[in-house]
Amino acid sequence: MSAISASEKVDGFTRKSMRKAQKQRKSQGSSQFRTQSALVELSPLPQLKDVPSTEQQELFTQKLQQCCMLFDFMDSVIDLKSKEIKRATLNELVEYVSTNRGVLVESAYPEITSMICTNIFRTLPPSDNPDFDPEEDEPTLEASWPHIQLVYEFLLRFLENPDFQPSIAKRYIDQKFVLQLLELFDSEDPRERDFLKTILHRIYGKFLGLRAFIRKQINNIFLRFIYETDHFNGVAELLEILGSIINGFALPLKAEHKQFLMKVLIPMHTAKGLALFHAQLAYCVVQFLEKDPTLTEPVIRGLLKFWPKTCSQKEVMYLGEIEEILDVIEPTQFKKIEEPLFKQISRCVANPHFQVAERALYFWNNEYILSLIEENIDQVLPIMFGSLYRISKEHWNPTIIALVYNVLKTLMEMNSTLFDELTASYKADRQREKKKEQEREELWEKLDELQISHSGLAHSNSHMLHNTNANNNNVVVNNNNNRGSSPLDAAQNEAMEVDVPAEGPLGVY
Amino acid sequence: MDAFKLMKELRANYEQEGYYIPKETGLNLIESTEQNGSGISAKCRDAQVEDLWGLSSFFGYSTQTFVLAVNLLDRFLALMRVQPKHLSCVGLSCLHLAAQRSEPDAMLSSGHELIRIGQRRFTASDLSRMEKIVAEKLHFTSSAVTPLTFLHLYHQVALGQSPSRKEVLSLEKLEAQLKACLRCMSFSKAKPSVLALALLRHEIKAIQSEDMLEMTCHVQRHLKIADGELQYWGERVARCLSDYASPRCSRPNHRKLLWVVSRRTAQNLQSSSCCAPDLPTIPEGGWDPSQSEDSSEDLSSGEESLSSSLEGEGGYFPLHLRRRR
Repeated sequence: MSAISASEKVDGFTRKSMRKAQKQRKSQGSSQFRTQSALVELSPLPQLKDVPSTEQQELFTQKLQQCCMLFDFMDSVIDLKSKEIKRATLNELVEYVSTNRGVLVESAYPEITSMICTNIFRTLPPSDNPDFDPEEDEPTLEASWPHIQLVYEFLLRFLENPDFQPSIAKRYIDQKFVLQLLELFDSEDPRERDFLKTILHRIYGKFLGLRAFIRKQINNIFLRFIYETDHFNGVAELLEILGSIINGFALPLKAEHKQFLMKVLIPMHTAKGLALFHAQLAYCVVQFLEKDPTLTEPVIRGLLKFWPKTCSQKEVMYLGEIEEILDVIEPTQFKKIEEPLFKQISRCVANPHFQVAERALYFWNNEYILSLIEENIDQVLPIMFGSLYRISKEHWNPTIIALVYNVLKTLMEMNSTLFDELTASYKADRQREKKKEQEREELWEKLDELQISHSGLAHSNSHMLHNTNANNNNVVVNNNNNRGSSPLDAAQNEAMEVDVPAEGPLGVY
Repeated sequence: MDAFKLMKELRANYEQEGYYIPKETGLNLIESTEQNGSGISAKCRDAQVEDLWGLSSFFGYSTQTFVLAVNLLDRFLALMRVQPKHLSCVGLSCLHLAAQRSEPDAMLSSGHELIRIGQRRFTASDLSRMEKIVAEKLHFTSSAVTPLTFLHLYHQVALGQSPSRKEVLSLEKLEAQLKACLRCMSFSKAKPSVLALALLRHEIKAIQSEDMLEMTCHVQRHLKIADGELQYWGERVARCLSDYASPRCSRPNHRKLLWVVSRRTAQNLQSSSCCAPDLPTIPEGGWDPSQSEDSSEDLSSGEESLSSSLEGEGGYFPLHLRRRR
């Protein structure tokens, strides 16, 4: 049934909410479930705690195998009993692995990883909403979450179990496993991504042999994201993991890591959906700079290169990141980038978008930045002065004007002599400009007055006028002229003479 | 204006200036008041003048406005006992009064704007009442004879026959120096004619122009200014200006500035200030052989006994466990 009125149909701009309400959610068939032609029921097994310890291992394996059966959650009415059995079993398994020691014998590893793989490694369905905007729309949650959540929980407890042996596990948790795990980061369900984040973090920590591979794959994902698809839901989570990795880098930093910073992290700032992961990205960048301050100059130059030109929200984010970087910058590094940086800041301060201007002006509320500016006042003040002074007169937003006062006052007090000099030269420049404008105006007025009143003279004299204008800069030879030496006056005089000389062309020059 | 007229003008102003000097006893009282006492101290006054300097600079007011405002302020403070909490109101009303007299209408900002930018706590009606009081007590109508008046006249005299000297003896520089001096209370006691002359002589000595110096001596004799007085103030001026010109930055005690931002920016600032990750740091393996990008195949069993809690660098691990290529 249509919820859209006839008038709206004609209108052509139906509201998005109306369209959504209309759309019925179609059940997505998945090949995972099609193999079960007949209804298979799970038979409940005895509880692990009720069974003597000698038989527990066997039962454990059986339960694991039982959980390899997948159920279709799109259909909310079928297999309810079996789903419940599986859920309870999974719950039990989670408990079992968390609380008991001696559970992880070598033979258990393949069973465990097989159950996990069967349950979580799946092709993610295409998004219900092709125009999914992560900032605005609600994400499509995973339907099988009641089971999958417990499987993730189980995997996590498995990894964190004190008896866990990476040397055995690495036969099963190998590159293929990791690759499939990384693909799942594209899930729209934030709860799933949260689990994946923690799981990958543990895997990175425990499996040294996989570390380089993981870094390389993350590299690939990011590069694809930046340059090809512009779509990946798990960027923020991956960046969070990277943050903890960067934090642990040994010094001196390896070239591979520096490359990563300059070739991947910096260009990532150009992504359209920066708002979703900017906090994590900025954290990574700042961590790099804390590890190796010599990276400051290339990082800041990189950010300045990619500075947003049309997106004000992004500009505000960039400014926030710059402030975080300045919070940890070393004074020697500051000297290297102060000029290009403050040129950009002075442009931001004069930006008509009030949030950008406010954010830039707010830098002056930061004690450490103030101390850096004070040390380098001779370089900074001349760069900032012009735009600050100009917007104090011209900006439309009164809050901004009040903030500009604060900034100017602070700068005034840092070095009054320099401030006075700059004020004087600024005023002198403005006066010169005004004078030029006035002169230009007068010139145009004079040209206006040069109305050729006599139509008869129009033809013959336009020729002369043409020459006059062309020879504007040359010295004018005026025979009978005592009035001003302006070539226009001369032309005007000539034009008004009625007795046009008969001989030859009338061009005077 | 030709030389004769200039001299006449100078004489006329010289005779008037006495009316516009703040009462000496009043000034002495202020100088002797202690900082946190019940009255206005010299430091309070100086801080207020700094504030006015900032505001007049921000609004683009001329030097004339600022100098006049300071003059009014000093005269009023020397005359009346003002409580410290009213000082900022007095200061701002002096500035507003001066601006109304000296600035063209286009440049004038309303009382509201002055109060808002100056981050003052009183209202516009408070301001106008105070203005009336100040104007009344000082019998203020249009202008006053200030050091700036003399400075302009002296400058014209010094330029004399050669207006090309304007490049060498800059009036803007002199005005800036005057403003710097006025921020110090001690100069309020000086006679405007003497202060201006001392300032001019200081600058002329700096540019080393003998004939201009002679011109100033001529002026001094014309106005009958005592040598001792001129020298006294000359020394003070020199000291003050050397402080002003020093590259050393100073941030005097001023009340903390209020940073008012819009709601959205405030929200933005709050949310970005908390981003401590909750994942623990993973230290980089000291001798992790899989550093380079091509060594991603499985490694030998040597490194399996390593847990993720590696701490130091290479030397931590026994030699025989290190991977051999």
